[in-house]
Amino acid sequence: MSLLCLGLEGTAHSFGAGVVSSKGEVLSNIWHMLSPVEGGIHPREASRHHSDMGPGIIKRSLEDAGVSHSDIQLVAFSRGPGLGPCLRTTATMARTLAQKLAVPLVGVNHCVAHIEIGCLESGFEDPVTIYVSGGNTQVIAFAGGRFRTFGETLDMALGNMLDVFGRTVGMRFPAGPSIEHAAAEGVDYHQLPYSVKGMDLSYSGMLTAAKKLHLEGVPVADICFSIQETAFGMLAEVAERAVAHTKKNEILLTGGVARNNRLTEILKGVAERHGARFHRVSPPLAGDQGAMIAWTGILQHQAGDELPLSSSHVMPKWRTDEQDILWR
Amino acid sequence: MKILKKQLLTLGAESAIYIVEYWGMTLALKWRPSKPYVHNEIDNVLRTSRTSRECKMLTFVRTLGVPTPAVHSVDISNHSILMDFIEGQQFKQLVNTSSKKKITSLCHEFGKLLGIMHMRDIVHGDPTTSNAVVDMQSKMWLIDFGLAEKNATIEMKGVDMHLLRRAYETTHWALQETMLESTMEGYVEISGDDAEAVLSRADEIRERGRYH
Ligand SMILES: Nc1ncnc2c1ncn2[C@@H]1O[C@H](COP(=O)(O)OP(=O)(O)O)[C@@H](O)[C@H]1O
Ligand SMILES: [Mg+2]
Repeated sequence: MSLLCLGLEGTAHSFGAGVVSSKGEVLSNIWHMLSPVEGGIHPREASRHHSDMGPGIIKRSLEDAGVSHSDIQLVAFSRGPGLGPCLRTTATMARTLAQKLAVPLVGVNHCVAHIEIGCLESGFEDPVTIYVSGGNTQVIAFAGGRFRTFGETLDMALGNMLDVFGRTVGMRFPAGPSIEHAAAEGVDYHQLPYSVKGMDLSYSGMLTAAKKLHLEGVPVADICFSIQETAFGMLAEVAERAVAHTKKNEILLTGGVARNNRLTEILKGVAERHGARFHRVSPPLAGDQGAMIAWTGILQHQAGDELPLSSSHVMPKWRTDEQDILWR
Repeated sequence: MKILKKQLLTLGAESAIYIVEYWGMTLALKWRPSKPYVHNEIDNVLRTSRTSRECKMLTFVRTLGVPTPAVHSVDISNHSILMDFIEGQQFKQLVNTSSKKKITSLCHEFGKLLGIMHMRDIVHGDPTTSNAVVDMQSKMWLIDFGLAEKNATIEMKGVDMHLLRRAYETTHWALQETMLESTMEGYVEISGDDAEAVLSRADEIRERGRYH
């Protein structure tokens, strides 16, 4: 008999609820992203968004899956890493539901969930994962019982860099899609600081330089084009280093920035050169949403994991490599 | 250049390494091929600057007493370097087959070599166990200097030590504490009082980039 899990995601700007079965069927996946008219994301504002929208999203998610509260046998929530206020709001909803339904609660690592839902969709068994979003830029692979971060940003996340640049040229949050659109019209490449350190990288220098180009009157399309080529080229290099180092033969691209077609094209090239298979997680499963939390919750629960309510505090700085991955 | 035999040794992250027979010597040829998926201008700038940098740094750190393959010739326009072939094994592979005692002493040496470079304000840029080769006499050689930099600041040295620690964490997880400890001993032995600022910066760097 298949088990149904309700997963709640709320680590940053999005709140999501998804219902997934233990056979790996995504029955529903509803989310809503806070998109302020101007400025970036404020943790308090985002947590208010989650508490306002949360109950409605959960209700719609159950309806969409065609199930009722009593069909849910497991509740999973994003325990970290993320913004404290957002995590706490989400955890409170999860605890309340688990208690009300009298079902077990599981705390899921947000980054691990991105990888597991990607593996479910692609059928990959042991990929090098490139996880790029507004808050994260990481190259992760499984080794010695854990998901380990082989490379990451030393300062700002790729998505955040795109958003901040977008904001300075008047694009709305999240700016990634507008930048991709503008870049397609770009013709002239302007050199920007290319900063790779081993398998780590840094984006703050190129952001400063890109802003300067804007002040100098360089067309926005050209800057966007140059930003994409430089930022994605750097990411390709660290991905390549991780693949050469780990000798794995699958590359998984996930996170909100995975929607970018140019990035996908570049990483496909990397995969080809190293004889690796490539998969880009489809948009509904690539961003922050509840289905990934539900699916990982199932894997974790089947491996015997359960979180007592009394010790279900959130973990804003939960590192990917701090969790023993019992199901792999 | 008269190359009689050319055989692919390995495909690295950004290069192909060939073993070549040249005037009766066995040498290594490191070639950085183009990456058609990267913007052409970026690709060319990187391949050129890294080839030139690697060649200079291999030679320079050698004068400091860091064992590196001697450079025989460089062809900048073809992005290739001809250097000594170090017959031995990657340190990374050796860790899986060696005694703890041997690993500890090699880590100590690794730390010392990085210390020597840092004392002269040079960072390696990619100090992983893939980039150290151990020869038949158990001597350690450092390679892959394409990301090395001169005039290094505390921040740059901190990044180097952070990368080293992470390489142990991700690749040698079972032995990471022992390996880190002996590496640090070797490092501190060379850099003395200068070590503290670098190592505390490395800790700080480790915490950055996390969700904030
Ligand atoms: N001079 C050399 N002697 C022996 N082995 C070498 C030499 N140069 C490279 N290698 C081997 O080839 C691998 C890749 O070379 P490296 O210079 O690190 O290239 P990449 O920048 O692509 O990582 C090394 O890890 C090492 O095993
Ligand atoms: Mg190398």
